[in-house]
Amino acid sequence: MSSEGIWDRLQTIDRRVFYWILFIALMIPFIRPIGLPIAITPTTRGLYDELAEVQPGDVCLLSISSGVSAWAECLPAMVASVKMLVRQEAKIICWGMGHVDVDITWNKILSQVPELETYTYGEDYAYFGYIPTQETTIALLGSNIREVFTLDKYGTPIDDLPVMQGVNTANDFRLVLTSDTGDVGSYYIRQWHTNYDTPVAEVGIAMLGSSYMPYIHSGELFGMTVGSRGGAELEMLIGSPGDATITMDAINVSHILVVIAIVLANVGYFATRGKR
Amino acid sequence: MSEVYKRELVFVVTAIVAIVMILNFFFVIPGLSPVAEQLQAWALIIQLIAIAIGAANVMRVHSSLVQRRVQGRWLYSAWLIGLFAILTILGLINLATGTQNPFYQWVFDHVYVSLGTTLYAITGFYIFSAAYRAFRARTLDAAILLLAGCFVILTNAPIGEVIWSGIPVIGRWMLDYGQVPAMRTFLITGAFGLLAFGFRTLLGKETGFYGEVAE
Repeated sequence: MSSEGIWDRLQTIDRRVFYWILFIALMIPFIRPIGLPIAITPTTRGLYDELAEVQPGDVCLLSISSGVSAWAECLPAMVASVKMLVRQEAKIICWGMGHVDVDITWNKILSQVPELETYTYGEDYAYFGYIPTQETTIALLGSNIREVFTLDKYGTPIDDLPVMQGVNTANDFRLVLTSDTGDVGSYYIRQWHTNYDTPVAEVGIAMLGSSYMPYIHSGELFGMTVGSRGGAELEMLIGSPGDATITMDAINVSHILVVIAIVLANVGYFATRGKR
Repeated sequence: MSEVYKRELVFVVTAIVAIVMILNFFFVIPGLSPVAEQLQAWALIIQLIAIAIGAANVMRVHSSLVQRRVQGRWLYSAWLIGLFAILTILGLINLATGTQNPFYQWVFDHVYVSLGTTLYAITGFYIFSAAYRAFRARTLDAAILLLAGCFVILTNAPIGEVIWSGIPVIGRWMLDYGQVPAMRTFLITGAFGLLAFGFRTLLGKETGFYGEVAE
């Protein structure tokens, strides 16, 4: 007969039990939203403040380097940033690299920013699609965009786009927003900020929050949204709650469950350590 | 051309490209910028060709697996080849619209997006299970790491602040000051390492990436 106590049994719980606990727990906020207040972090505040300084006619770059798998973390902040840029009447240039699904993300942004209906394609914004390379291309884009793009995504010659008149180097951009799941933000810092002093901000997945923090401290990044929490903060700041604000309930539940799991596991570990 | 010449040619080309790019980065030298831009454009073209070679190589490897009926793998390879062919054909059906082709977009919107987001979401379940099964404070270092991790986790979720207002203060301190010196050290030492690697490459002492040309 087994002499296992409750802590022993807890040490060997089937992993499927955890999957079910998380699944059921994540259902709760969908049925009954919690809606806890969201404090604004300094990094998101920095991003918002700089966007608020953009003047009508300033040309801003949105560089999409995050795939659809990172939509939950990056898309809301990109959408909120574009909304803010449209409010500021900025001109928006977009391209992407690192992920082949850039087109889908761009189309998603277009569908989630109804304010863009007041914009005219080619005059107020332009989209260049996917570029399948990284730092070298970013360096080249900084010195001569027309060496990389001769046409936009839809086949229009770059010189026929009014928004691109007088725009050919990093110096011609007011700021860069780079949405990231990896290193692309640091490429813009090295090739655009260091060489041309172009302000760069990061819209990153939560994991990148710590990686890019040194650049925030050194002033090389003027702002950063970290994961869906950062997206929710930006949505709050622009007064347009969206997908990230909704997912905050799920973030709350999942994060607290992870902490409870760690605590329980360690209590069990110490309770059964003597027996082992 | 002898092997020696082949090797020396690669060294010389690498050194010239490196010197042009370094000079162009640090100095304003009339006439050098267009040369550097041209080299960067060539790099872009070479990388595009590499992608095409990569796609051809994927086909070669998986065709071989299907031909040899490798147990447990050939069916997946056949599936990959089939999907590759479908997407290629869909992309080529109407070259004018390219990826704007509605069929092509349907595959991306309803297959790729669903699979991509699902796979990423599944990692949450693994992390939850791993948090219980693997995160043990077996040593003092591990205990400190876990404690810091818990604070940062709760800092990233609004609920942390609701539980105790001190949690985000501690968590933010860890993010702002606890980890930044380590990350900065990592970045700087990595940069020095890269510098040393570049210097060795420039001198022809780094042969790893020369492939068969190197001895």
